Parts: sequence; structure tokens; C-alpha cells
Amino acid sequence: MVRKRRNPTDIAIEVGLFLFACVLLYPIYFLYVGSFKSPAIFYDPFAFPKELYWGSFAIVFEKVKLLDGFFNTIVIMSFSLVSIVVICSMAGYAIARVKNRWFQAIYYLFLSGMIVPLQTTMVTIFKMGVSIQLIDTRTFMVLLYAAGAIPIATFIYVGFMKSIPKEIEESAFIDGCGPMQSFARIVLPLLLPATGTILITNVTAIYNDFMGPLLYLKSESKMTLMPQIVQFYANKQSMDYGPVFALSALAVLPLILLFIFTQKYMIKGLIVGSLKG
Amino acid sequence: MERKWIGTAALFVLPALLLFITFTYYPFIRSLYYSFTTWDSIRKPVFIGLDNYAFLFEDRKMIAAAMNTFKMALFGLLIQNPLAIWIAVLLNRKFVTGYFLRAAVFFPVIMSLVVLSVVWSQILSYEGTLNLVLNQLGLSGWVRDWLGETNTVFITIILLTQWQGLGYCVIFYLAGLQSIPADLYEASRIDGAGAIQRFLKITVPLLMPTITIVTFLIIVGGLKLFDIPYILTSGGPGTASYTLALAIYNAAFRENNAGYSIAAGVVLMLIIMVITFIQLQITRRREVEM
Repeated sequence: MVRKRRNPTDIAIEVGLFLFACVLLYPIYFLYVGSFKSPAIFYDPFAFPKELYWGSFAIVFEKVKLLDGFFNTIVIMSFSLVSIVVICSMAGYAIARVKNRWFQAIYYLFLSGMIVPLQTTMVTIFKMGVSIQLIDTRTFMVLLYAAGAIPIATFIYVGFMKSIPKEIEESAFIDGCGPMQSFARIVLPLLLPATGTILITNVTAIYNDFMGPLLYLKSESKMTLMPQIVQFYANKQSMDYGPVFALSALAVLPLILLFIFTQKYMIKGLIVGSLKG
Repeated sequence: MERKWIGTAALFVLPALLLFITFTYYPFIRSLYYSFTTWDSIRKPVFIGLDNYAFLFEDRKMIAAAMNTFKMALFGLLIQNPLAIWIAVLLNRKFVTGYFLRAAVFFPVIMSLVVLSVVWSQILSYEGTLNLVLNQLGLSGWVRDWLGETNTVFITIILLTQWQGLGYCVIFYLAGLQSIPADLYEASRIDGAGAIQRFLKITVPLLMPTITIVTFLIIVGGLKLFDIPYILTSGGPGTASYTLALAIYNAAFRENNAGYSIAAGVVLMLIIMVITFIQLQITRRREVEM
């Protein structure tokens, strides 16, 4: 194998970036090492556990309803994702194909939602949740996540529809496919890249969301992971951070694995997804 | 064909429309009304005109929060943004460890702010890693309670957001850099342009649309900063790490002053609108140029 000789500047830059990367990864290292440290060495930042200490995890499982947290997070997330994809792909399809004033007006109405921050409507939504008796339910969270994703997801679908030629559906019509069928069988599969982007953005956003559950959930049995961590952290029952670290380490594990396996798509998704205001 | 399927199309939009009107549009209109009332979210709201808005400009906490937000935006513009471009330019070449380097820069982006807060609270605590390192470097004069002192707390929080924010911006700039055709650089190299000239005459102008977007995201992100100060400092000590989002939350759910909180939320929205408007103007002008 012939290697091009690298010039010293390139090597210097690589070494510099490598050190920078290590600094960036240090907190993750600190988190995982910390969750295996025994209380005796936990507060010595540079100590490395000679053997894995499982005590922190034992405390987590004893004091936090972690499995409930996982279950709630996953359930809320999955139902939200399915709703977002179904509802917004349908809306995006109709808006892209019907060039009529009303549909355009609806599109702009959706887009205007991008500039309304949660802070403007959160109290009113809370109040509304109380009066329709949906406050402190997972259903309410799903409805809110779905509604919140409409502007950007519809925007992505409408944009993506432009790259799908109309002729494909027209020939399906001629073959006797109804609009429903041609949507489900032909359009939806073609929208897959857009769907991927939307899924990835919303997975991280919903999984990591703290403010939503803080505002609209109350019962311990319905709580998601992030507020569970905050509560456990705030209680500081023993002034011992080991268990808090263990809980955090467990809670972020699924996303870390997801990142490792889908890094490329995730990064692309994050770019497109964050173009909202 | 069009007319026949317009009914179906309407059915297709209907779920999104209903959901959007119920959970975004309707609460928004209601909120506008509440912002002109004094309301504790339990009893009936009482109309008080513009009093909430007027009080915003006298409220010390709100002003402190706005000042902090302003500091953060300034930091984002002057330090975070150029730094991110620099890192992206450095990363945008072939490295032996290229895959690892990129993954390390992007990785914090998927981490939750909650976990970020928990981990950093220990690194930055009085007996934490940072102070220990400072001690060992012989900089014990620098040792302090980073999150507990009025004059260091907010800058510490700003730096904390960088752990995630920097990678976030680098992702955008790398994507932007990769869309710049390589032959432009070839041509300029043949014409005898140096690295700095190439950067200023090719990279920066062609990266301008990305710079606009990232600047916008940095500012709007700063406006909504909530999780980190909520968990780490509750805005303290005093109001040293207050942010607008935190002030709005506290006004509603701690002080039961819902009308006032909503008025602040409306102002936050107006700020975002103005920034969006300015950004659209700039982007549009650029599009004409290209």
C-alpha cells in the first residue's frame, strides 16, 4: 500500500482535533465510569474503579420506577411518531397536489405555527388540558407532540412531494386505483426519505423532552425518563450522585446505540429538522 | 380528475387541520386574550389592558433574563459562530481518524440537556474535575464554585451549552462546506491565492446562507434556553442565571401569574418573529446575488 506523505500541518491539525474530540467525549466517559464507581471513590474525579460497582444501579432500580419510565417514553414516542407520519404525510400530499387557494391558505396557516414558541401557549394548553380532562395523560402528550410537529413535518413532505412526478399517480388512477390506494401503495413508500428525516428529528426531540412532561404530566406512573432523572437528582436523598449517574447512563443508552448505528441519517435528519424556527 | 379527488384531499388535510387548530391555533388566540388580563389560571381572568406588557419593562427578573439572553446571543455571534466555522473547516479534510473525530463532535448533539446538566454539575462542582485540574496546573487562584457565584454562573452556563451547541453548528457548516465545488479552490490555487485569501474570498461568501441559518438558530435557541438553568441553578444565585423561558415558566407555575407569563410569552414570540423577518430579508437578498 502506497501512502501519500502527509505534511506536518495536517498531522498537527489532526492531533489538535483528536485532543478536542477527547475533551468533548470526556463527560460521557465521566458519566459511565461514574455510574460504576463505589461511593468511596465517587468524589475523586480521576479515580478509576478497579472493579465494577453495581450498587448505584441497585439503588436506581429500587427507588425509581425505571421500567415505567422507559415504557412511558417509548409508548408516547411511538404513538407520536406514527401519528406525525400518518397525519402529516396525508396533509403534505394533499397540499402538494391540489393547487387551490384554500389548500395554500391551510399550508401557510401550518407554517405560521413555526414561530409560536411553547412559552406563548403553554399555560393556555395546560388549562385546556384540565378542562377537557386530558391533563396528566399520555394521550395528551401524544396529541401535543403530533400537533407540534405539524408545521415542520408538513413542510418537509410538501417539499419532498415536488420530486415525485404526478404521472406515477395518474397511471395508477387509470389502472383503477382510488386516491386512498394510490397514496398508501405508491406515494407513501416514495416519501420514505422524508419520513426518515422526520422520524429522526422527532425521536431525539421527544425522547429528550423535559419541559413537556414537566408541564403536562403529574402521576409517577405516567412519567417519562427525563423528568424522572430531574426528580431523582433534585431529591438528592443521600447526597450521593452515583445513582443519579447510573440512572442517567441507563436513560441515554438507547439514543447512544441509535446514534452509533444510524449516525449518517441522524445527522442529515437533524439538519433538515432544525430548519424550523 | 382534480375535482373528483378534491373531496378526498380535504379528508387528507382534515386530521392535521383539526389537530393544529385545537392545540396550536386556538390556544394561541386564547393566549393573546389572556395576555391582556390578570389571571391566576383558576379564577376568571380580569381585563387590564396593556398593564402586563408595561410591567415587563419594570420587572427586574425579566430584565435580568433579557440581559442574559442578550449576552448569550452576543456570545453566539462573536465566539460560537466563528469557532464552529473554524472547526468545520479543519474537519473538512481526510484524516486517519476522520470518522472518530466527526462522531465525537456530533455526538453531544443527541444528548439530552437533562443528562448534560447532571454530568456537568459534578464536573463543575467545587471538588469536581475542573477545579482539580486547575489546582494541578498551579492555577488555584481560578478555583471557584463555578455555578454558585454570581459573576461566573451565567458564563459557565453559556460555555456548557457549547458542549452541544458547537457540534450542532459544525454539522451545518460541514454540510455547507461540502456543497462548495472543489474546482473553485483548485482554480484559485492556480491563480496563486493563499489559504487565508481562499477562505475569505471563496469559503465565507459561499457559506453565507449557512451562516445566516446558524446565526438564526443560535439566537432562537438561546431565547428558549430552559432545561440547564432550571435544573442546575433555578436561575440563581439571585437572578444571575435567569433566562426568558425560565422567567415565563416561573411566572405561570410558581407565582400563579398566568396573564403576565403569557404576555411575556407573546413578547418572546414577537422577538422570534422579528428575527425571522430579518433573517428572511438577508437570505432573500443573498439569493438575488447568487
